[in-house]
Amino acid sequence: MAGAGGSGIFGLRQSLRRRFAQWLEQRIPPARSITLNQRRIFILPSRTGVFFAVCLCVMLLAAINFQNNLSYALTFLLATLFVVATLHTYGNLAGLTIHAVHARPAFPGQHTEFELLVERGRRREHVGLSLHWPDSSVVQVSLLGEDRVRLALHAPVGRERGWYKPGRLVVESWYPLGLLRCWSLVDLDLPALVYPQPLASAAPPGVASADHEGSSLPQPGNDDFYGFRDYQQSDSLRQIYWKGLARGRTLQVAQYVTHTERSAWLDWEMFAGLGTEQRLSHLCYWALEMERVGEDYGLRLPGVSIAPGRGELHRDRVLRALALYGRGSPA
Amino acid sequence: MKQAEQIPRNALVWMIAAQFTLLAPHLPRVPIWVVAVSLCAALWRIMVYRGSWSFPRWPVKLALILAGVGGILLSFRNLIGLEPMVALLLVAFALKVLEVARRKDAYVLLFLGYFVVLTEFLFSQDLLIVLLCLCNVILVTTALVALHRPGDERFSLRPLRSATAMVLQSAPLMVVLFFIFPRVGPLWTVPLKSQSAVTGMSDFMRPGDVSRLSRSGEVAFRVAFEGEIPPRSQLYWRGLVMSRLEAGTWSTLDYYDVPADQRRPPLPEVTEAPLRYSVIMAPTQQRWLYALRYARSADTGIMNAADYRLFRPVVIEDDFRYTVESWPAAELETELSPWRQRTELALPQGRNPRTLALGQELAAGSDDSQAIVDRALALFSEQSFFYTLEPPTLPAQDAVDAFLFGTRRGFCEHYASAFVVLMRAAGVPARVVAGYQGGEINPVNRTVIVHQFDAHAWAEVWMAGRGWVRVDPTSAVSPARVEFGLEQAVASEGTFLADQPLSPLRYRGIRWINQVRLRYDALTYRWQSWVVSFDGTRQMNLLQDWLGQVSPLRIAAVILGALALALLPAAVLLLWRRPLAALAPHDRLYLKFCARLARMGVVREAGEAPGSYARRAAQAVPRLAQSIESITRCYQQLAYADDPAREAAALQREMQQAVRRLN
Repeated sequence: MAGAGGSGIFGLRQSLRRRFAQWLEQRIPPARSITLNQRRIFILPSRTGVFFAVCLCVMLLAAINFQNNLSYALTFLLATLFVVATLHTYGNLAGLTIHAVHARPAFPGQHTEFELLVERGRRREHVGLSLHWPDSSVVQVSLLGEDRVRLALHAPVGRERGWYKPGRLVVESWYPLGLLRCWSLVDLDLPALVYPQPLASAAPPGVASADHEGSSLPQPGNDDFYGFRDYQQSDSLRQIYWKGLARGRTLQVAQYVTHTERSAWLDWEMFAGLGTEQRLSHLCYWALEMERVGEDYGLRLPGVSIAPGRGELHRDRVLRALALYGRGSPA
Repeated sequence: MKQAEQIPRNALVWMIAAQFTLLAPHLPRVPIWVVAVSLCAALWRIMVYRGSWSFPRWPVKLALILAGVGGILLSFRNLIGLEPMVALLLVAFALKVLEVARRKDAYVLLFLGYFVVLTEFLFSQDLLIVLLCLCNVILVTTALVALHRPGDERFSLRPLRSATAMVLQSAPLMVVLFFIFPRVGPLWTVPLKSQSAVTGMSDFMRPGDVSRLSRSGEVAFRVAFEGEIPPRSQLYWRGLVMSRLEAGTWSTLDYYDVPADQRRPPLPEVTEAPLRYSVIMAPTQQRWLYALRYARSADTGIMNAADYRLFRPVVIEDDFRYTVESWPAAELETELSPWRQRTELALPQGRNPRTLALGQELAAGSDDSQAIVDRALALFSEQSFFYTLEPPTLPAQDAVDAFLFGTRRGFCEHYASAFVVLMRAAGVPARVVAGYQGGEINPVNRTVIVHQFDAHAWAEVWMAGRGWVRVDPTSAVSPARVEFGLEQAVASEGTFLADQPLSPLRYRGIRWINQVRLRYDALTYRWQSWVVSFDGTRQMNLLQDWLGQVSPLRIAAVILGALALALLPAAVLLLWRRPLAALAPHDRLYLKFCARLARMGVVREAGEAPGSYARRAAQAVPRLAQSIESITRCYQQLAYADDPAREAAALQREMQQAVRRLN
């Protein structure tokens, strides 16, 4: 019976939590930019505030027992200060706008960087703001005269590929007196892209051949400087290295080449017979591998085709396609 | 998180500043070593901040705490009582300053600071002290604000500004709560101030006691009359009635010395309209009150003793306000009971033989008390008696003999005492009355200020058919004392407030100093009558005046109104529009241009350069291609040209016109 009761309480807590989440969802819907206002700001006495209230009670007792009017006055002044501090604490957060700027993609389980922009409202100062996601680092920031501040939060992403939502951002402040905690739970629509977990495999047939045939051979051309060699009859006069001749060397020509490479296609069908996630993981591994050795590579997935290329942008495109494969529309 | 818990340097500066301003008003009542401890703690903490020294470790802390408690025990001999508690609080504050490392410590320290402010009020509720304490509250609040500001900020007065604003915004609601909060009696007994603080008259009198009191320029009480102020020669403020002479000391009869059936005095007949006035007394740590004879008070807790003086069962520890009605002409105790007769004629056996003989001699001629009194007064005025603030000391035995037949230089208590002994020897019931005589009329608010130097002692003589009659033997020696006050009476001597060179009372001759003094005194009176002595009775009257009828609903309405009033200034301040940094005019024009195009379906994407946007827009809306091109060119020149100042105005105008035409 006790077990049932326990689960009952657990169930109640679960359902309360769910109800709260739903209520929050309605009250503060996700958005890329959120301005904090009275609908979105919560305020309650902090632990220090409770301690202060206890101190006030002691002071009131002293005033009553000593029948001392100025002690009454001081107690009431401080009690009113507590009330006035509510407004000031609220005002410190109100009007603040938080913009989602950018979330850097990451591999599963890694920490990534979420970039935010905090912009001031009507007040010239917003002091002692503290921002964090449930499991991220805490960033302290104050806007003292400047209009906006860029900041980066570091938080781990989930283990699943696709879009990772970091949950609700906690924006809180205790300024000016520390007696009250004023906070908001903001759902910034700032998901981070999680790439598939790279998974090494034996070189797939297409790629293996690319490893041999795809190694670039220099072909004579006009693109890159390659070196010097002795002059031959058929060489163009424009290629002669006149400066070297002037220094008393033998007659040489500067040699230029064009690199021609074989491009490899990373194909969905290369890993036929494996599960979707495993295929994506292998493709991911090989994309990174190709990037590392500096070869061009393209990607073919059902419904997606990315022409061969190289470089960071290209890699990001490929990885993004892998991450979002079968995950619906890209955000 | 760790970073946030550390105390910003600026907060530390404010805390140490607050430490000393909190200490300042307590200086008169704490041992000097407490100041030394505060200084050392602050210095140590500063060295810790600079990285030269380290925080004390726990054995050192424990030793410091024990040393502090031990020092207080040594200085005060006990720990119970207000002064040792305040000293302990200040030592704790100093040691906490030394220890403060994290925010949590700082909260404890600063809340302790608010408490130190409160303890000051238990000693003094003087206007200037209260102003200083208000500054202290602001300073502690400033430290609290500074505690939450970024640690790397430069030192500025901004926290002070916000703290002051917040404290001032709290004032309206505080005032309302102050007047509305129900005043209930003490819940339990609390430690009293030590007996050293007793001031004013004491309930026994030896030669030299009153003259010692007359060296002080402190205010004893202030009186506000409802009608005309009686002439100052009539202002005899009765405080104590001393009927018993033992070993050269006059003392009052205790409650239990009086037979049970005579503890309540017979009520005199009163016919004429009474003098009505209210008195605000400085704390005396005693129980008796001062009033003109014959006085009655309608206030609760004020009683009339068997010898027609007012007293209060509770010691007067704070400024105390009471209202009195007096009938100066009422006949007191026309019938004297045998016990009373015996008491008021008693003289110590075998003391002052020459005085006793003189008394009998005075009585020899007639039975008429008035004649005996007149003869005794004539003795004082005709023979060479002197009124002086610095009388020679008298022997412990037969002091009256030594005075009457030897020194003949004395202050009021010498004359009163000698006169009463003479009367009793002559068979006339008589007693000494101690209190104050005269007072200074403050023209600013028509109050009578009675100072300690107005302390006086006179006699009451019982006469058949007339009851107790006041006789002031001092007036026979020095009429100026009663007519003009002590300053005039001892003017030739130059002893008035001789050891108080800074007292403004000594400079009453200088017009502006006197003006300032009297205005401040009037303010003090107002402060005391409205704030310091505010109590349940006054509260009831006030609320009835304000609300007509005291109902919970109306009180709630007042509180809510005050809450709104308190929060309004803060709210206005918060809602005050302070726009973001203004955009340059060309930026504004360009945004307008973008908005117009967006309405036509060409939305500029985030981060899109003006050039590419213009190309896109020109393709989408070919008829405006020229305008788009010209606006974009103007904008680019205004925004990005190295030196746009040359033709900026022209470009600006061109752009403005182009944007306006865009439709």
